[in-house]
Amino acid sequence: MLVPPAFPPTASVQNRAAALAELRLLLSRHPGWPQTLQAKLPFGLAALDCHLPNDGLDRGALHEVVPATQAAFPAAFGFIVAVLARFSSNVPAAARNKQIIFVMPDHGSRQCGHLSGHGLNGFGFDPTRAILVETAHRHDSLWALLEALRSGAPQAVIGMIDKLDLKTSQKLHLAATDAGLPLLLLRPSQTLESSAASTRWRIGTAAAARDRFGSYTRLRWRLQLERCRNGRPGEWVVEYDHVAHRFSLVAALADQTLSRGAGDQPRRQANRS
Amino acid sequence: MNEAAEDAGIVVGDPVADARAKADSLQVRAADSAADDVALHRLALWATRYTPTASPWIEENGADGFFLDIEGAAHLFGGEESLLVDLAGRLDRFGLPARLAIADTPGMAWALSHFEAAAQSILPAGGEVAALSAMPIEALRLSGETRALLRRLGFKSVGALLDKPRAPFAARFTDELLRRLDQALGRRDEPLIPVTAPPVYHSLNYLLEPIVSQQAIFARACRLMQRLVHVLVRDEVGARALKLSLYGVNGAVETIDIGLTSPTRSVPHVARLIDLKLEALAAMHDGGFGFEAIGLAVTRAESMPGRQTELNVSAVHSPQDDAEHGAALIDALRQRLGPDRVRQFEAVARHIPECAETLTEINGETPQNWPLEEEQTRPLLLLPQAEPTEVTALVPEAPPRRFRWRGVTYDIAGAQGPERIADEWWRAPYPSRERAPTRDYYLVEDGEGHRFWLYREGLYGRETATPRWFVHGLFA
Repeated sequence: MLVPPAFPPTASVQNRAAALAELRLLLSRHPGWPQTLQAKLPFGLAALDCHLPNDGLDRGALHEVVPATQAAFPAAFGFIVAVLARFSSNVPAAARNKQIIFVMPDHGSRQCGHLSGHGLNGFGFDPTRAILVETAHRHDSLWALLEALRSGAPQAVIGMIDKLDLKTSQKLHLAATDAGLPLLLLRPSQTLESSAASTRWRIGTAAAARDRFGSYTRLRWRLQLERCRNGRPGEWVVEYDHVAHRFSLVAALADQTLSRGAGDQPRRQANRS
Repeated sequence: MNEAAEDAGIVVGDPVADARAKADSLQVRAADSAADDVALHRLALWATRYTPTASPWIEENGADGFFLDIEGAAHLFGGEESLLVDLAGRLDRFGLPARLAIADTPGMAWALSHFEAAAQSILPAGGEVAALSAMPIEALRLSGETRALLRRLGFKSVGALLDKPRAPFAARFTDELLRRLDQALGRRDEPLIPVTAPPVYHSLNYLLEPIVSQQAIFARACRLMQRLVHVLVRDEVGARALKLSLYGVNGAVETIDIGLTSPTRSVPHVARLIDLKLEALAAMHDGGFGFEAIGLAVTRAESMPGRQTELNVSAVHSPQDDAEHGAALIDALRQRLGPDRVRQFEAVARHIPECAETLTEINGETPQNWPLEEEQTRPLLLLPQAEPTEVTALVPEAPPRRFRWRGVTYDIAGAQGPERIADEWWRAPYPSRERAPTRDYYLVEDGEGHRFWLYREGLYGRETATPRWFVHGLFA
């Protein structure tokens, strides 16, 4: 019979946290443990990362990004590009030449404009790595996303899908997990239904940082982590520096769990979506 | 004119009334030469199942036949006679009785097919002079005036021409007479224009029974690719473009084109791309009576030196592996969605924002001309066409204070700019072309943080009295 290491019987908070960390370490060395759980993308902000499982975005998972209003669509897109730019700078040099696939439907570009290579360059994102795939129908978009994930060739895949039922989102999430690649999906702003995504972000606009001459220095967005598997929701206003590929915190908005009592370690709530 | 008409005694050139008199049940149709050409073209395409160089006759040869260059292909059919019998039989089944001839030169073959008594004839090598001498001068494909002149001079058969000295002919007639003579006898080359560009490597499979199902076609195509791989490896090339031709029993030809971003020799990769297109093909036609021959041709090959394989296949992917996987993914996406749907960004050295970049198809070489740091801020999303908006500003040269776009009014909290982008005067010789108005671009932000890229078109006072405002892009 397997005997777990003996822990002191006191249920103090510090020991519990230490025990959890040690259990995680033991499990990660287990040969059956999926390696992708180790791969993560931290935002570099403690206030944000502590809400996410494994202190960062999963690299092999489906993440949904929803604009708060239809007018915030460019902000949502910008957030995705910023995350990707940060992601690309965090990988070893050998993998820096991998492509990033954007699957965009035709009607999206007619409505809000199409991606600009110079705009991508301004985010610190190398435009030569982007491959733009334009599709006419939803099933073409889904096929292209699955094909890109299954090939395992790109570094990340971005798509834009209007209607997504639970089953399809599960298929996409499974493909992303198998490939170990992040799949970032832009959804329309009215999205409310549940999906199999690992995290769902709702992005709103925020006034940009200005220097004393009045010119704009850094872009800002209001992030709301709406759903997070094995994590906690939260709301922040962050600022992105395109040179250092870094997010910095402008304001952490009211975190509901803090009101339960200061000093208590907030419990992690498993969020069943 | 068909056989029944000939039996009734009608000859080409009879007036319709006479022809009607000879045969009661005559059906008259207007000659549609364009449709005839199209049909001949289709027939020539079908004939590529015998050899890749099938060339339909052009005007001067009469527009009712084609040449087939069967050098090196005849043995595949068990000899020239069996090839003739096979071809004649198939054409007969299509309802096209034909006269066929095999000879060493196209000119000889043309002459034999028109003026030889038998419907199928083969001329042994070296027999050109004897065969040609017995034919009338029409066998030389000369123009009407040359023929008339020759008849007036008393030359009725080619034999009379052959044993005369050549210099007087060259002096009296144009080059055409001697050229045709030399072409028929093989002294001069006659280039043929094939109906499709001849492939670099070609593999053809004749089937005993026609196949209809997609799996059968796919399996055969894979086998053809296997055969081609040997030749590609021997020559150290890889295929960049392939064409799969399916020859139907009813004479129709279906072709599938496959394009690749980097040269490849891998059978599973090409098989996957063929599979993607076969699905689309099966959806739109029901196969008819099936396909009786399948050919795979490499239409474009590029050098691809052999790669040294790694001894230990570890989990670490080499950059070459990654590049191959990436190219394979792009090929599959292009094959299913179309090559114009998978593109990448390329910077163009121009000032006007909508021309400063293009989307180009991926073809293996990545252009690397993006600046490390953008000098001016550019929006993430560019509208395909700048949309006009109504703007209120304090003075005409000032940044906007409020604007209305797509039915929504925005109150501007802050603006950055102007960035002046003038017309590119070097693009056309001055002063003939009218200059487009100068644009002043502003990055504006409203109270909630929506950011837009607006521009004012036309300098107030200098270029126009009423400048117009447009929204060109959206910032993240």
